[in-house]
Amino acid sequence: MADPRNPGTSSIPQAAPAHTDSTSPAVDMDPVEYTLRKRLPRKLPKRRNDVYVNMKTDFRAQLARCQKLLEGGGHREICVHGLGLAINRAINIALQLQATSQGALQLAANTSTVELVDDLEPEDPDEAGEPMTRTRNNSAIHIKVFYPDPQ
Amino acid sequence: MRAKKLRDQPTSVMYPSSPVTVESSTQNGGDARDTGATGGDGATGGDDPSDVKLPVERQKNRHQRDGWVRGHQKDGAVYAKDMSKYISGGAFARARAAEVKTMLKAVNRTTGSCHVFGALPKHMRRRAMGHNVKRLPRRLRDVANRMHKKSLQAGSKKKKEQTKSKSRKARRRHGNLLLEFNRRQRKNIWLETHIWHAKRFHMVKKWGYCLGDRPTYKCYRPCYRAMSTHCLLQDLSYHCCIELQGEEDNMLACLSQLTSKEAGPTFAAALCILGRRQGSVVVYRAGLYPSQPLGPVTFLWRPRTQGSTHRQLWIWAHPSIKQDLLSELQGVCQCFEAVVPPVVPVVTPAEVVPSLEPELQSEKTPEATQTLRTKRKRNCKDSSEPPAKKILGDGTRSPTTPVTWRSSSTGIVINDLTMEIVRYRLIGPQAHSVLAETLEAASVCDEINKSQPSSLWWPEHCKDESKMNLHQQQADIFHILKDIYSTGELPSGTVLGLTVDDPRLTLPTKKVKALPCVKSTQDVDEERMKELVLRGVPDHCCQSFLWEQSVRDNVTDNKMSEQELNRMRSEVLVPGSRLSPTPLQGRVPILLVHQPGKQVGHEMTSWGAGWDLLLPKGWGMAFWIPLVYRGVRIGGLNMSLKHSQNKGTPHFPHDYPDCPAGVRFQEEQETELLDKFKRRPPAKRTNFVKHGCLAPFRCPWQQLAEEWELITKEGRVEEKRDDQTQTTTNTDTVMEEEMTSHLTVTKTQSCITVLRNRKSLKLLSGWCRPTTSKGQRSCRVGQVPPLSSSAVSLFLTEHGVSLVWVRLSLLAKGKPELHAMVCVPVPEDLKLLSKKSDSNCPQEPLHRNHFKSRIKRRNKGSKKAATSSSSTDKTEGKGSDLPSASVPKLTTSTEDPQSSSESSTDLIFGLWPDPLPSITSHCSRVSLGWVTQGDFSLSAGCGEALGFVSVAGLLNTLLNQPMEHRGMVLLRNPASLHYRFAKINIEV
Repeated sequence: MADPRNPGTSSIPQAAPAHTDSTSPAVDMDPVEYTLRKRLPRKLPKRRNDVYVNMKTDFRAQLARCQKLLEGGGHREICVHGLGLAINRAINIALQLQATSQGALQLAANTSTVELVDDLEPEDPDEAGEPMTRTRNNSAIHIKVFYPDPQ
Repeated sequence: MRAKKLRDQPTSVMYPSSPVTVESSTQNGGDARDTGATGGDGATGGDDPSDVKLPVERQKNRHQRDGWVRGHQKDGAVYAKDMSKYISGGAFARARAAEVKTMLKAVNRTTGSCHVFGALPKHMRRRAMGHNVKRLPRRLRDVANRMHKKSLQAGSKKKKEQTKSKSRKARRRHGNLLLEFNRRQRKNIWLETHIWHAKRFHMVKKWGYCLGDRPTYKCYRPCYRAMSTHCLLQDLSYHCCIELQGEEDNMLACLSQLTSKEAGPTFAAALCILGRRQGSVVVYRAGLYPSQPLGPVTFLWRPRTQGSTHRQLWIWAHPSIKQDLLSELQGVCQCFEAVVPPVVPVVTPAEVVPSLEPELQSEKTPEATQTLRTKRKRNCKDSSEPPAKKILGDGTRSPTTPVTWRSSSTGIVINDLTMEIVRYRLIGPQAHSVLAETLEAASVCDEINKSQPSSLWWPEHCKDESKMNLHQQQADIFHILKDIYSTGELPSGTVLGLTVDDPRLTLPTKKVKALPCVKSTQDVDEERMKELVLRGVPDHCCQSFLWEQSVRDNVTDNKMSEQELNRMRSEVLVPGSRLSPTPLQGRVPILLVHQPGKQVGHEMTSWGAGWDLLLPKGWGMAFWIPLVYRGVRIGGLNMSLKHSQNKGTPHFPHDYPDCPAGVRFQEEQETELLDKFKRRPPAKRTNFVKHGCLAPFRCPWQQLAEEWELITKEGRVEEKRDDQTQTTTNTDTVMEEEMTSHLTVTKTQSCITVLRNRKSLKLLSGWCRPTTSKGQRSCRVGQVPPLSSSAVSLFLTEHGVSLVWVRLSLLAKGKPELHAMVCVPVPEDLKLLSKKSDSNCPQEPLHRNHFKSRIKRRNKGSKKAATSSSSTDKTEGKGSDLPSASVPKLTTSTEDPQSSSESSTDLIFGLWPDPLPSITSHCSRVSLGWVTQGDFSLSAGCGEALGFVSVAGLLNTLLNQPMEHRGMVLLRNPASLHYRFAKINIEV
């Protein structure tokens, strides 16, 4: 059970739609003429103790999964990743884990920037309109939740 | 015993030219048994009731002047029509004589299958009596013994006749096996992987091909998992390819008649025409855009060559629309001059020409060797037999059928490349790593080989510097591909041309699962990878030699056989190591085409993305086995249906009810389902009449669309009349009356269309307020005009009688099934919804079965006919009269002729006979449409269905629904009374 059944659903960090507007100026794109289609964020190889938090799965389920990894799964440390809107939830999960462990767990957070790709497809299917791609950045957080060494 | 024979006998009795219906034969059976039981005049009286009838009855029964209809006829009207006044004695006597003769024959003859113990009463029969004579009572043993011997003899005689064919060993000998295979391929085309599939799959014969439907082992979930985490492989070679060559402008002008810009990008879409992307369109009959679609096709342009406006286009279509498409293409391009096959005009760009000549010279060498080999074989066989040669490509087509058509006016050449190119589809995020592991860019020839002229295409190409440059670039891009983690990261529809080594050379000894190389992330050329991910493959790298017929033929002809390869392998010094100088024949041009994953909706984006692998014919198995050895799962037709279902895209013949192929498919499906239904005993069938399900096996779209159009009209009229009442809650009777008059008028033109206009679809989807599948997150909708009655009426004037394709996701419980009804919830239902409990679903009250009495009466009537034949006419007359009075007589009389003719002869228990009453208002909830595919969706985690609803109905519903419950509908399976809540999504 430590392994997620389906990375397709569970490990895709969801970028919130709100971020699209804030990060990219809407000048270069006319919403009438183009449809915006977001590609998935780039995936990296995943270990068993990596948990990608998303906004679709129930919060309690994700928390339980982390707990299972730490207790039943026998991992000394896990990494909780969150992207965009899911940052909040990732932090929440990490803090919850720490609180329920009665101080046994420690946290170490890192932030990063992830480059995302959008496809712009022309509405008008003439030869003139060429599909465009653009990149935008989104924030991500990687929290290491671990049992400190006895020394 | 005698009675039994008589029961079976009358079916064989047939006076020539008289139609004997099934009805009459069963009746005769019934009365024959009765008379037999009484034991009186079994021979004559039991045979035909019309014989015993009074002379008056006889005259009544007479049907035509020359032919006699035996038994009682149900529809009494026939008698009255052409009653003749005379009985010609000769004909009558002859008829009776024939009957008596057959009867006597039947009585006298004992057939082989007739066993002695048939005479025993049931309680005295024992198990295995046929084998063990001692189980019979002693008085019957002698007879049984005799018959046993007789049957043994008969059996052995038959066996001897069978053994005339060769022994198994002979049959399995390679040459003979090949002959046998070739014979079996004449009717249905076999794919190159047929034998492989036939060993592992349930095969079906569809569209003129033998295709694997589903594996014999259980693998539904593993296949789904393969699609979403690893890779699923399918053989799509049965898709037909049609090649168009000509000037670009001419071709575009011709092709533009088949498509419309309203329905999305056409053949002229910017990236597609560069050859960088594969495009897909729905093709219509020329110039008839909103009506008469043919079906979806994908197309691929060959990248431009410098300084030439000559272009090449491949159109890939499903085999069920190929003929229509081909004739339509010939029509628009004016290509009617069929070119006789031997003189195949290869109109290729200038660069190929040099490579043609050496090829022609050296063609002799492989041929010569071949003749030598076949000669040896032929000596041992009889000389008359043609040498068995494996059929490559289309085996059903005679070699003289033209496959090429050219036009003198437009200069376009149409080429039918069916079965010329093998197409494999790899679905899943790891598809590219499977490809990267299986394929290796072709190794360049060394100097020695370059210097001497060769019959093979690769050494010739190696001499050309520019071609080698291109090859190097393509190989580089292919190398970068290995470092991508998921197939979905690439721009959808990307094309990459490549030349690869024979993948059999690098076949692993064991099946290993191909995984992405993890460690290489550090030393990846980040810049180039980003470029690839953002822009896709540059133009010139999309070029492949697969486009050239000469190269394709060369590669196919010079394929190294498995045997030869194994021999070379055995000669290698270190067993199991790679063949060091790669044999020159083993260079294959291929095309890799990226397939987009899920593009609509907001969850599971790019699920099910993958690659298509295009190969020259003959190389199918050479690539199939190495792919299989990389740990992919293999799916059949069944899985491709599930794939498109999860992707949220319509699947071709299933979800195109307005295309001819779709209509044909639905008819087939109906007969299949009906047969399955009829196979069960009536008591064990679902009683669809009681469930209020009018058409469980088909979807009368036409009737639905028309009814809804009428309802909206009615609504509008009423609105004008009285502003307070603005609903569709008009009394059924008015509506039905209107409908009957209306339907009879519009019946002549039967054309429903599926809404494919992009703008309208967007508008609709905005009105439905698309949310995610579970309704958690509503999403921004662009500037959609608010839903108002004026906007709706404007919309309906455009698309009144059309259907729209929707995705339905269930909110709580339930698994939608095929042909489940989509219904409109009443306000009380919506209140239930807010209570949030699973068990609270509205239910359909049980309907009354009007037909039960009718069926009973019919059964009774037939029995009565036997005993007192005079009274039958009366009863039957009543029987046919009564139900028509009780059933609302709402007719679409010529809905489909097949089933209506059936229903006139026999009522099927549990099914509503034709003509159907009003579909929309039959149940307690008004129905909008039907589901064409439904299942529990493993990707969404809830029941999901795809179906069609009437546009008019949908808009009407949306208008009347409160804002917070907009787009909420009810789904009800045909065999269930429970309605389940579902959410409508229209995705563009």
